[in-house]
Amino acid sequence: MLELNNQYTLMKRQVHAEVLKEFFAGTLKENVDKLPIRIIPKQRVPNRCCIYKERAMVRYRIMALLGINIESDDDELKSLAEYVEEVMETDKSAAPILTTISTACSSCPPDRYLISDACRGCFARPCLANCPKDCITFSGGQAHIDESRCIRCGKCKEVCPFHAVVHIPVPCEEACPVNAVKKNEEGYVEIDYKKCISCGRCAMSCPFGAIVERSSLMPVVKMLGKEEHVTALIAPAIEGQFPGTLSQIKAALLAAGFSSVLEVSEGAETTSLHEAEELAERKARGEGYMTTSCCPAYMELVDKHLPFLGERRSSALSPMGYAALKAKELNPATKNVFIGPCLAKKVEALRLKTVDAVITFSELASLFIAKGIDVRELEGSDLGDTSSFEDCRQFALSGGVASCVLSRFAPSHEVQVLPVNGVDKKMFRTMKIWEKRPAEADLVEVMCCEGGCINGPGVVVKPSVAMKLRGGNKAAAPVKAMRSVIQ
Amino acid sequence: MGKKEKVHVQICVGTACFVQGGADLLLYNEFLDPAVLGGCEIEGVSCIGGCKEAQSKDRPPYVRIGEKVYGNVNQEMLCKLLAEATRA
Repeated sequence: MLELNNQYTLMKRQVHAEVLKEFFAGTLKENVDKLPIRIIPKQRVPNRCCIYKERAMVRYRIMALLGINIESDDDELKSLAEYVEEVMETDKSAAPILTTISTACSSCPPDRYLISDACRGCFARPCLANCPKDCITFSGGQAHIDESRCIRCGKCKEVCPFHAVVHIPVPCEEACPVNAVKKNEEGYVEIDYKKCISCGRCAMSCPFGAIVERSSLMPVVKMLGKEEHVTALIAPAIEGQFPGTLSQIKAALLAAGFSSVLEVSEGAETTSLHEAEELAERKARGEGYMTTSCCPAYMELVDKHLPFLGERRSSALSPMGYAALKAKELNPATKNVFIGPCLAKKVEALRLKTVDAVITFSELASLFIAKGIDVRELEGSDLGDTSSFEDCRQFALSGGVASCVLSRFAPSHEVQVLPVNGVDKKMFRTMKIWEKRPAEADLVEVMCCEGGCINGPGVVVKPSVAMKLRGGNKAAAPVKAMRSVIQ
Repeated sequence: MGKKEKVHVQICVGTACFVQGGADLLLYNEFLDPAVLGGCEIEGVSCIGGCKEAQSKDRPPYVRIGEKVYGNVNQEMLCKLLAEATRA
């Protein structure tokens, strides 16, 4: 997957912030068609073929931010202003979560193995000896691969003493664990939504930014502008995503117009309790392994690809589910907005019906920028009594869910935990095997993103930075601590 | 050899800078040369105003080294700038 810090991420964030600034200034409809030109001025040295294509891409990114399904609703004759008008009147349905920009797609050739100039045409020729399809030939003192016979097993790459064999993947296809990303007849990317589990890996992998998420920011900023009670349900992963403490983040959300803030970790406590109880019951009945149920991409994976796991997963609602109920309990009229690192949560929200919109940390950051909210400058807002669910903030990390369940589990039992830390193609194959040969564990904790939610598609910072800033509601401290180390 | 005065470095962690790559600069303990690190006094600070100067061609993240404010700073650039600053 792409390193988070790249030109595309920065461009996307700039586009989001500029659009929201116009929105809050009340001039979005008037100026939206000028934004592509303002963001890509003619002096710019383009990364794509020319500034005009870059401007066209900014237009599509704005459409995705407005929540437009680019695949089905792209009308080139329509101005962005007309789209804005539409979106202001009625909210677009959030499904499907992803959409593709075919003109951004570079239509990468199929993945292949290639022998580079580093090949010395050696005497031993392990590539030749180990290729199962005899597709290596030698000419001009170098090895070559016969494309028509190659089965892409990678054996030649493994055995070459000069590391001369390179694998050139198709990043989106390689990233998709369930083969939902394919090329159409023209060679452009297409998503098979019947297979897609909305994990967002493809969107995080495409170096051309051709797969984008459809944002729910517009419905949310519209909500904030009305006289409505809006609750921000903040995912446990939020700590460390902004330069400030958790209580400062809460203050920033209130300043941004949310009426109240509820930590989803509070819901995570209920999830842990429920799963601990269920685990005890299942163990008593000798039913074998149980899986967690908090990762929405995993839920989709089970529903669409691994139905036999349906009875294995816990019946507990996700932390978001319980937190949403809690918020409605506190104020039945409230609108719930889940703020997390996850795209698949949007699918879950559509199913649950207690969550009205889902936005990502990255989108929240552009909201802060557009409103001129500096998280670090704010005085922290009281988080209330968090003692009972403080440990549940670890739900954001791989291994964290299992540890919260275990700490609420009667200690007399021996529980074996199997963490599934990221679901890629290989892990998906392993999980398929469980149908015939059950996983050897009592509790299987599944997180589709490696490292947990702090590595999700909607994060602001990479996990290493987030980990530095997390912990004990004193996220700003590490900066000072590091300073004292230096001196 | 007299003790040299440390170079004062402020990494802007205002929301805009933090989001546009400034957060990565906070890993300075990991990517800076220890020799350079020793000659600097680095801190994360609230918005230093780089973004508010009109017509600025630079973009976030901003870093102030001594008196001067630099824009578009990434890890590589910070290494270079600080190596120069500590040598001077």
